[in-house]
Amino acid sequence: MRNSRITIFIIAIIIAFIGILSIYSSTCQKDTELWQAIYKRQIIWVFLGLVLFFLVSNSDYRRLWDWTYVLYTCALFFLLLVFILGITRLGAQRWLKFVWFNFQPSELAKLILAIFLARYFSRKSVSDISLPVTKFGVFRGLILPFLFVALPAGLIVEQPDLGSGLMLVFLFIFLLYLTNVRLRNIFIFLSAFILLLPLFWHFMRDYQKQRLFVFLNPNIDPLGAGYTIVQSKIAIGSGGIFGKGWLSGTQSQLHFLPESHTDFIFATFAEEWGFLGSMILLLLYFLLIRQGFLIAQRTRDDFGRLLALGISLLLGIQISINIAMNLGFAPIVGLPLPLMSYGGSSVIVTFVALGILVSIDRRRAVF
Amino acid sequence: MRLKIVKLAGFFVFIFLSSVLFSFQFVRAKKYREQSDKNCLRLVPQEGCRGRILDSEGSVIADSKLSYDVMFFPQGESNFNKVLANVSGILELKLKASKSADKFVRVASSMPVTIAKNIGIKKAIALEEMKLENPGLIVLPVPVRRYPNERLACHIIGYLGEIDHWRLTKLEDYGYKTKDIVGFGGIEEKYDYYLRQEEGGLLSEVDHRGRFTRVLGFRQPVNGKDIQLTINLKLQKIAEDALSCKKGSVVVMEPYTGEILAMASYPNFSPGAFADKNASSIPVFLNDLDSPLLNRVISGAYPAGSLFKLIVATAGLETRKINPSTISICQGSMLIGKKEFNCWGTHNQQNLHLAIAHSCNVFFYRAGLILGPQIIYDYAVKFGLSKSVSFDLCYETSGFVPSPLRRKINQFSRFRRENWYDGDTANLSIGQGDVLVTPLQMACMMAVFANKGYLVRPYITKAIDGSETGVFQKKAVCLSLRESTIDEIRRGLREVVSDPDGTANVLSTLAVSVGGKTGTAQAPPGTSHAWFAGFFPFENPKYVICVFLERGGHGYYSALVAKQIIEKMLEEGLV
Repeated sequence: MRNSRITIFIIAIIIAFIGILSIYSSTCQKDTELWQAIYKRQIIWVFLGLVLFFLVSNSDYRRLWDWTYVLYTCALFFLLLVFILGITRLGAQRWLKFVWFNFQPSELAKLILAIFLARYFSRKSVSDISLPVTKFGVFRGLILPFLFVALPAGLIVEQPDLGSGLMLVFLFIFLLYLTNVRLRNIFIFLSAFILLLPLFWHFMRDYQKQRLFVFLNPNIDPLGAGYTIVQSKIAIGSGGIFGKGWLSGTQSQLHFLPESHTDFIFATFAEEWGFLGSMILLLLYFLLIRQGFLIAQRTRDDFGRLLALGISLLLGIQISINIAMNLGFAPIVGLPLPLMSYGGSSVIVTFVALGILVSIDRRRAVF
Repeated sequence: MRLKIVKLAGFFVFIFLSSVLFSFQFVRAKKYREQSDKNCLRLVPQEGCRGRILDSEGSVIADSKLSYDVMFFPQGESNFNKVLANVSGILELKLKASKSADKFVRVASSMPVTIAKNIGIKKAIALEEMKLENPGLIVLPVPVRRYPNERLACHIIGYLGEIDHWRLTKLEDYGYKTKDIVGFGGIEEKYDYYLRQEEGGLLSEVDHRGRFTRVLGFRQPVNGKDIQLTINLKLQKIAEDALSCKKGSVVVMEPYTGEILAMASYPNFSPGAFADKNASSIPVFLNDLDSPLLNRVISGAYPAGSLFKLIVATAGLETRKINPSTISICQGSMLIGKKEFNCWGTHNQQNLHLAIAHSCNVFFYRAGLILGPQIIYDYAVKFGLSKSVSFDLCYETSGFVPSPLRRKINQFSRFRRENWYDGDTANLSIGQGDVLVTPLQMACMMAVFANKGYLVRPYITKAIDGSETGVFQKKAVCLSLRESTIDEIRRGLREVVSDPDGTANVLSTLAVSVGGKTGTAQAPPGTSHAWFAGFFPFENPKYVICVFLERGGHGYYSALVAKQIIEKMLEEGLV
């Protein structure tokens, strides 16, 4: 499969189509027309995403090298703007209102941070990336980039969006590992991070603490904080092997499952399509991320390689956490399932990220 | 290298998620499916009627009447308080009671809430009319067991109650659930599976707020099957009236088929008290030392007394160890070993049928000693003693007949090391000592002489759901006794009544000729048990009767009760 562009395009379009089907299924029973028309908006987002996908894949990703700091500043600017102008929904201030749509800067920030970290760690474009650490010491190799990550991550966590914030930290840790930073340093960083975790406890909101408790034991509060996870498990499990059929899932159709078109769209899908359907979906995601890693392996350019890895990890981590959360194996955090969940920001950012991947693969020969 | 590890980790995450999906959607799919159904399916239940219990002519012994429950099924925005206000006028509800219901509405808004139970039909109709203005109001007919004859035949039918833990563990596989109403004792328990109704109702789908979305269908409740008994309600009433306030039992049986026509036991209980869940009356029955719940006809084992002599006589004649002309002299007592064994009178010269008529102990002591205990035991078993008759009703006891063999076996146990002495044989031959029988066993024994040689299997169910069950009953067993034996004993039985000195001479005044035998079973400490077993009309027997009075004194008193019953039967034209 040399032609990664076609492969990625096909997989992405299938997943997006599955997503639209599921969104339609989970919202067609709602009362208002605004809700019922939500799948149309998702179609528009997917189209826009596809256009951007082709535009980005035809452009040169190395231009991002020059624009990195501008983009980073932009991301910070938007995140700050959320605090001032952001609209509150479901108790979180995550969205910026544009003319006819809401924009979620934290989605964009994830991609920009992947670009930023790729650039930071491949600064000199030398083959031995472990140099920065030995050369600049722990401070410039470890602490400084962490501060760059911590700034947007902190802003996102304060929205509050713990999931996306932690995503950035995870991405950072994985990239540290992949850039041949000494294992000893990573361990020091990790242990420092873990030791500081109890401190974070004080900064967590009450509902986040509750979610953690519920994750450890969903049965302590089945009608309150544990409701979502219990219903999600029931939805997935009751699907059985062949599923209940499209538009026939009782858990989502009768609204027992909250957020069935966004964070818990996997449960909606699994209920209606069963084990076979969900295995196919899981396999599609697996193939998509595998493409990302293959591209990273093929690329000689350090920046491109790290960027491809960053994007693949970004998608991979997000997909794994979302599905694990649907199955009750991860605490509930507001992470959408890329390409499936309803949400313009997520869809467009994901398509742009895939576009960058393709672009990296196309330009690697130039080097 | 590190890239490989990360890729491997990714692969493992994929495998992990797949296996979790497998366990959810394949291994545990059924459990989750049930939970999902529980989420969205609501049943407004409607009970079917429990099967009726009828007598042999189709008169009702137990059936169901409709009582009405008022329920509220929340639909959409809760208008519960409004409905409650409208309804409370008719129901004369107290506000306190309704408040707890209100709380319940808030907790489980998708379940129907009971506002009032067991209201009369007038109120039910009035509420039904209000249904339009008060959406969500449901008047649900609920069948409740009714006993039109109150306590009549209570031991036969048993009573109803909430299933207990022991029964639940046994019956769970047959679809019984907690809080199910099941039969206890009698027909209600034995044929519970047939009598049981099936719950139906309106199956509807609700959304996450318990709002009604659509009706999935109506499942018709299924009524239980009717059970028809061989009992004749008129006869049953006669029997129970005759027994009134005397502890004991009466059983009337058809001598050729074994159909039980009446089966009375006193003290009795009121099955309706259990159905109404009137908590105050149930402990009265349970704590009563006279055990009113006990069906003495099948569950009570008592010493047989003189009735047992018929078995000894049969055994003697069959084995030819005595014959009709065997004569024994009764001097009021007899010395066996070093102990004096008494007769209840001094009868002088007695042959077999006189000995039966006068119930002379000495004659039978002698006969018993000639026969030996093993032969007596064998014949007792042949007549169906010492084993249950496999009757239709539950909790039948088998009784007991001692034998030297069993004594010997017992010698190896630690508890009762006794040898078999001639005194034991003497005791056995007049039905004392360890002999224990049930009134039903005695009726069966008497039926052998009535039908000339057949041990019938008594039964009480005539038909289940309209189809006769008589053909499935076990056939009567031919005991292959000689005709002369039976004739000789029948002669004795007749003389019990016809002889002026006969123990049941009171019955001789009746318009129908009766044959029978009294028994006075000593059961120290306390008064003796009074027995009477007989059949009538003597030539072509239509009925076998066995009257037993617990601590009733001399057998004469039982004969009196029998007389009362037969008189009434003659009046009603049943004979």
